Amino acid sequence: MSFMQPSPVKYACSCGILNPINMLFFCRHCPKLRCGFCVTHEIESHFCSNCLENIPSTEARHKKNCCANCFDCPCCQHTLSARASTVPVVRKSEEAKEPKDGESKGEASPPVPASSKPSAVPTTKKMYYLSCLSCRWTTRDVGIPDQGVATGTWPDNECLYQARFNALVEYFQAVVLQEKQEKLEFMRRKAPKQHKFPSLTDRTGLTVSLIRRQIGWNDKAPKAKAVIAPAEATAEVEGLPENIFTEPLNLRNVTTITQRHSQPADQPTAVGSLYPQRRSLWIKRSLRCRQCEHNLIKPEYHPTSIKYRIQHFASYHVPEVVMVRCEQPLVAGKSNAILLKLTNPTIYDMTIRLLTASPPDDPQLSTEATRVAKEEPISSSPLLKAVGITLSRQNSTREVKRDVIDVSNAEIVPLESEFVLNQRDDSKEFDEDVQLSTEEPKFIVWRKGNKVLLRLQFTPADELPGLADVILGFYMQYTYVNTVNNAQEKREPTTHVLHSRVFITAGATEQKAN
Amino acid sequence: MPSENRIKILPKAVVCEESNLRGDITFSSGCVVHPSATVIADAGPIIIGENCIIEEYATVAHRLEPGAVWDVNNILSIGTHNVFEVGCQVEAAKIGDKNVFESKCFVGRGVTVSSGCVVGAGIRIHGSQRLPENTIVYGEQGLQREAIDKQGSQTLQIDFLRKVLPNYHHLRKPNYDPKKARSVV
Repeated sequence: MSFMQPSPVKYACSCGILNPINMLFFCRHCPKLRCGFCVTHEIESHFCSNCLENIPSTEARHKKNCCANCFDCPCCQHTLSARASTVPVVRKSEEAKEPKDGESKGEASPPVPASSKPSAVPTTKKMYYLSCLSCRWTTRDVGIPDQGVATGTWPDNECLYQARFNALVEYFQAVVLQEKQEKLEFMRRKAPKQHKFPSLTDRTGLTVSLIRRQIGWNDKAPKAKAVIAPAEATAEVEGLPENIFTEPLNLRNVTTITQRHSQPADQPTAVGSLYPQRRSLWIKRSLRCRQCEHNLIKPEYHPTSIKYRIQHFASYHVPEVVMVRCEQPLVAGKSNAILLKLTNPTIYDMTIRLLTASPPDDPQLSTEATRVAKEEPISSSPLLKAVGITLSRQNSTREVKRDVIDVSNAEIVPLESEFVLNQRDDSKEFDEDVQLSTEEPKFIVWRKGNKVLLRLQFTPADELPGLADVILGFYMQYTYVNTVNNAQEKREPTTHVLHSRVFITAGATEQKAN
Repeated sequence: MPSENRIKILPKAVVCEESNLRGDITFSSGCVVHPSATVIADAGPIIIGENCIIEEYATVAHRLEPGAVWDVNNILSIGTHNVFEVGCQVEAAKIGDKNVFESKCFVGRGVTVSSGCVVGAGIRIHGSQRLPENTIVYGEQGLQREAIDKQGSQTLQIDFLRKVLPNYHHLRKPNYDPKKARSVV
């Protein structure tokens, strides 16, 4: 219905953000709706999207999150592909070398000029260059010599200040190490080892420092502080070249902003210094609920597989509401009706009730209590908290609770009764016999299998101006049969009564005639 | 405009019968015209140089400007080794050598294409302008760059097509031999 368009029906996530149902997840343990904002994102695996090679995370870090074999075009950021060209090889090695040198100077010439004398028996050799299929950029454009093998031997372009950069990296690694050690020291002193006999001096390390001082040593083992020559600011800036004022600028030789950003190390200004860039790795993410730390999404490890090992999308658990149409044109203050189609994705019957006011919080959501307990250890030590050290795992960040902004601007006539949404049954689709028409509430227009079309009456607010979006908001209360149990012992599937807030953008009001 | 088509096909050119040709068109030797390619010479003769490939659904047109009439001297000359890929529409004023018009591109009237240019897939070029030599137009925004390396030659592709096309299609017979014509005169 709304292919490639924003869905008019939005669900309020438990964190308060509105999302269409296909962007939401459902935690069966909490049991609540979750969105991409209120779950922790974890990197499951790194892989290259071009060669689909799986790269372990340590190796990925070592390679700066780049693929070793694949390159991106520096000109248009497309993937480069290796092209083979057959090159006649001259027997004498000196002669074979000479034309190659000439080529590396950037002259666009065929790999071996015709002038080189072929030997009596011409042999050919395959040489590879990288070429972009989109903008036809090739490595020959910038004078990178052709390689004998397609992958692995392409040179890395080193920028001018690579040495300085490496020095900085080394320095900061040392700093990190030092800080880690200091923290360890601090922790050791905070929580001294439990000896058989309690000692006061151990706590402060007083004896150690006393002895050291008596011997004549320094108070502490001298720390090898990492040093680095700080960068110096200079006021002297190179002037512009003379010819920039006199010669017309050839824009084709100037790189675009995108091209400069894709080559962050040296950010070249001239097209001639564009070099193939190693392709960034992609990741597979797994999503985890922040409260109960259960996985919501876990992809299969292999890069070529697009399936999931765990997938708890909301559309597998929560009844889907689809807006069909409004019965009449929308006019402010004029009563109207909307047709909604509800679908039950689960294999259990659901009892649904549409409410206009918030239902009382049901006490069975016992996870609330465990959640509080889980958050406790984060702030166990006030001292640690002051230093900004958190001991807990990073993923148990506290949930940012925000209220759902009530954007609805229409009055809804609540349905007179609740109704049952039948279970999903794939085999029913092929059944010939028509369902027996049972006594249905008046608002149900049509029912087939696990789908129900219902009619909901509403009145857009009086004060709405012309061409304003009418938004209906209601609480959908539904029963959900949970097959997982938080408790240890085996029990029957429990039935929860859940509710989610749904907002429907019904459309714009009509332009007023006057 | 002449009432009937005057199509000159030089020897060794492969022109399929199912192609749509209209007006005064000269195919030099070595040209390959696929079935359902279209060449329209409304405003004046079209002379296509050697070893050009015109692929399926490609349109090369020399259209009449509003109010103009057929003019024998208004020649659209297309150089050698050009490739018109599937679905491109080229109405350029002049085309040099070794150009590639990629799939579904559009080159409007008034564009002068020099040599060694590549018009990327889906690119639309309008207005009166001249593409300098070795220009490559690419990407969504139609960025231009200058190729330093030469584009690969199409000889292998032409040889292959020349071998394969006659197996599955009826060809128009070469009807003009420059050597013979000279001997007759």
